Amino acid sequence: MSDNKMAVADINHSLYDFKDIENEQDFYRMEEGLSRETVLKVSEEKNDPDWMREFRLQCLDLYNRIKMPNWGPSIEGLDMDKISSYVRHKSDMKGKWEDVPEDIKNTFEKLGIPQAERESLAGVGAQYDSELVYHNVRDEVAAQGVIYTDLESALRGEYADMIKSHFMKLVPPTDHKFAALHGAVWSGGSFVYVPQNVKVDIPLQSYFRLNAAGAGQFEHTLIIVDEGADLHFIEGCSAPKYNVANLHAGCVELYVSKNARLRYSTIENWSKNMYNLNTKRALVEDGGIMEWVSGSFGSHTSYLYPMTILKGEGSKMEFTGITFAGKGQNLDTGAKVVHQGERTSSVINTKSISKDGGIGTYRSSVIIQSTAKKAKASVSCDSLMLDSISRADTIPGMDIRTNDADVGHEAKIGRISDEAIFYLMSRGISEEDAKAMIVSGFANPVSKELPLEYAVEMNNLIRLEMSGNG
Amino acid sequence: MSSDFELKVNVLPVTTYNFLHVNESTIKISDLSLGKRKSTDEAELPSGVSKKSGVSFGEAGKVFGSFSGRINVLADGYAAPNGDTSERDKEQAVRTGMGADVDRLMRDMNVTSDVYTVDEGVKADKPIAISDKYEDGEMALLSYVIHAKKDSEITVILMESSERSAAGLSGISVRLMAEDGAKITLVKTQMLGDGFVHFYDIGGACLEGAGISLVTLELGGCDVHSSAYINLSEDNSAYSSNLAYLARDDHRLDFNYVADQRGKKTEALMDFKGVLMDRAQKTFRGTLDFKSGSSGSVGDEQEDALLLSPDVVNRTMPVILCQEEDVEGRHGATIGQLTEELLFYMMSRGIDEERARRIMVSARLESVARLIPDPDIMQKTIYYIQNIL
Repeated sequence: MSDNKMAVADINHSLYDFKDIENEQDFYRMEEGLSRETVLKVSEEKNDPDWMREFRLQCLDLYNRIKMPNWGPSIEGLDMDKISSYVRHKSDMKGKWEDVPEDIKNTFEKLGIPQAERESLAGVGAQYDSELVYHNVRDEVAAQGVIYTDLESALRGEYADMIKSHFMKLVPPTDHKFAALHGAVWSGGSFVYVPQNVKVDIPLQSYFRLNAAGAGQFEHTLIIVDEGADLHFIEGCSAPKYNVANLHAGCVELYVSKNARLRYSTIENWSKNMYNLNTKRALVEDGGIMEWVSGSFGSHTSYLYPMTILKGEGSKMEFTGITFAGKGQNLDTGAKVVHQGERTSSVINTKSISKDGGIGTYRSSVIIQSTAKKAKASVSCDSLMLDSISRADTIPGMDIRTNDADVGHEAKIGRISDEAIFYLMSRGISEEDAKAMIVSGFANPVSKELPLEYAVEMNNLIRLEMSGNG
Repeated sequence: MSSDFELKVNVLPVTTYNFLHVNESTIKISDLSLGKRKSTDEAELPSGVSKKSGVSFGEAGKVFGSFSGRINVLADGYAAPNGDTSERDKEQAVRTGMGADVDRLMRDMNVTSDVYTVDEGVKADKPIAISDKYEDGEMALLSYVIHAKKDSEITVILMESSERSAAGLSGISVRLMAEDGAKITLVKTQMLGDGFVHFYDIGGACLEGAGISLVTLELGGCDVHSSAYINLSEDNSAYSSNLAYLARDDHRLDFNYVADQRGKKTEALMDFKGVLMDRAQKTFRGTLDFKSGSSGSVGDEQEDALLLSPDVVNRTMPVILCQEEDVEGRHGATIGQLTEELLFYMMSRGIDEERARRIMVSARLESVARLIPDPDIMQKTIYYIQNIL
């Protein structure tokens, strides 16, 4: 146990919350606020094709017309007039770490991204503020025909038509106000295409760092896993903490073809001034499998409900998620699934921990349409309250439109049992360590779904939060 | 008096995705014209129980006002942070499941209340059974207040029925005040005709050690709203709800049951089971709300919905809100059809499939009907279930 105590003491609490001072001369920063001019300026910066410029303007119009959500956490503290939609380093995206500007490279070195690339990843994309600064994929993976590139390049290259036919088709800008905002000012993000029957054995990763204060990050991730292919994609995100609001309104669209499998893992540790209004959605064809692994630790306010549309017969979805809401955080997370095809199945398994006045809300929807005969859905959500100044709410919804389906739902809210703490303390473990152990055990179903390095990172985050230094 | 009304009712305690269409429900009433309904079977009250009729709806609610400091209906800091809807029912004497629009309707239509008061320490020796048999085309709004004084016990049974082919409107408001140690059991069996719009709106408050038990059978009617909001205001108070429902044809059922747990060591147990057939639609909202200070409390909410047709629509919203560490809250839902194994078992015993289904469905509903403490009403209800299936 003494080793564990050392591990807690040894954690560098500034692991994510370090500020690299951005030299103004090296960065281009668009003025705060949102207008037709700012949208056109972003489009110009991106050298958009005409259709994309028009699309952005249509999205701006939608953004101005769509109302704020009438449910969920307050986002009154988010003032778009104080958010810069676009900040980029003046250097271009690089294919080698040594070519990345020194200050940015230092940031990603501290986050361990190059090391992870060397040791355990098939490819890495690193976004700093609004633009990708580094993108690389291993030669042997590229040789399999796997495309992993920044979305802007893909928009103008060989895959331009594929992008056009998929971009914001799964998450239309009419979906909600911040989907429209994303459509208007999106920048950065990745495009992945895995050809038929190609199995990528080790994961690809995109890491998003929002370093600028008072800025928004609007990256777009588009992944197409073709028939019989297999991919694990990892997304990481962090930011230093500022006293002004930052906004993340990214969008992830995932297409899982017939008999393909996609695992999408996220460890989100945005700073606690971040409004995380991200939208993620997957469409799964016959026999396809979509697996989500999601850890939400950061952000001031989150609205995050990855959605899966099980369109194809026999398609499957599994969502495993954990949310840790600490002081000052209001994290509204969960999952959505729509069963359309016959014999589709979904399993949602979430854990939520609330501490130091944090608010953790599990919110979900399970929709079984009349076409989804013999569908099966199972939801299990557990919440753990670590004190009485925090809050844990569970707001699941189910809409079932066929009798030929099997739906089960269970939820529990409670605290760490005194007996369990007493038992551990009787074995010589301090109360604080006992609680940390129990919380780690509670999170175990999630961490065991992650690659080892990321499971360790997640457990570190839990320890940080438990020690009050998260 | 004649008028049109549109009521916004059954508002979820916290709003959620609009596309689920569960945040609220609407009742439209056209040409509301109330006749003079005289409920029957209430002539002989148990000793120690008194009844005052003709009390204005507002006046009848004053019994809750005299405990306002203890019921503490809407204290600051209790609102759920993400989409709390309590503000809209602030004006209610006691918060009810359907909400303030029902109160407004009752007041606008000058509905008077029957107020039953059970004297301190009195354990009523028999239930009060109130029966309403409606005529075709009849419209009625009824209001009851049941006030159980300290350490008293009372059971009230409501039976609402009509011919199966009848149409009309039946709206009932019941407000329950259980003082320290008092126990109120409220039973309702609803067997209205296929053209009836029916609503049943309950609001209740329990002081220290008090208990409210609800037994509800919603078996008829074409458009039914049935809801309860029970305030477990003080320590060791308890609430239980057993509800069975049957929806057929194009009928619509809409529920909103809330346990608001504020006292220490409170207990809320809610069990809902029902059957949807044909093209019926049902929305069920069930909420356990553990407020700050409710340490040691437990809440359990279970729903078991049996779907017997490919055209039914079942919406379920089992919500837990929790602002207290030392509580145990659980909810579970099972939604689907009869399992093949069960049918096979029964068929292997010589019961044909159709009969096996009927047995399983009626057993589900009868398990709640058997909780009715009046043998005559219980038998009538079971007979109705067996006939309608």
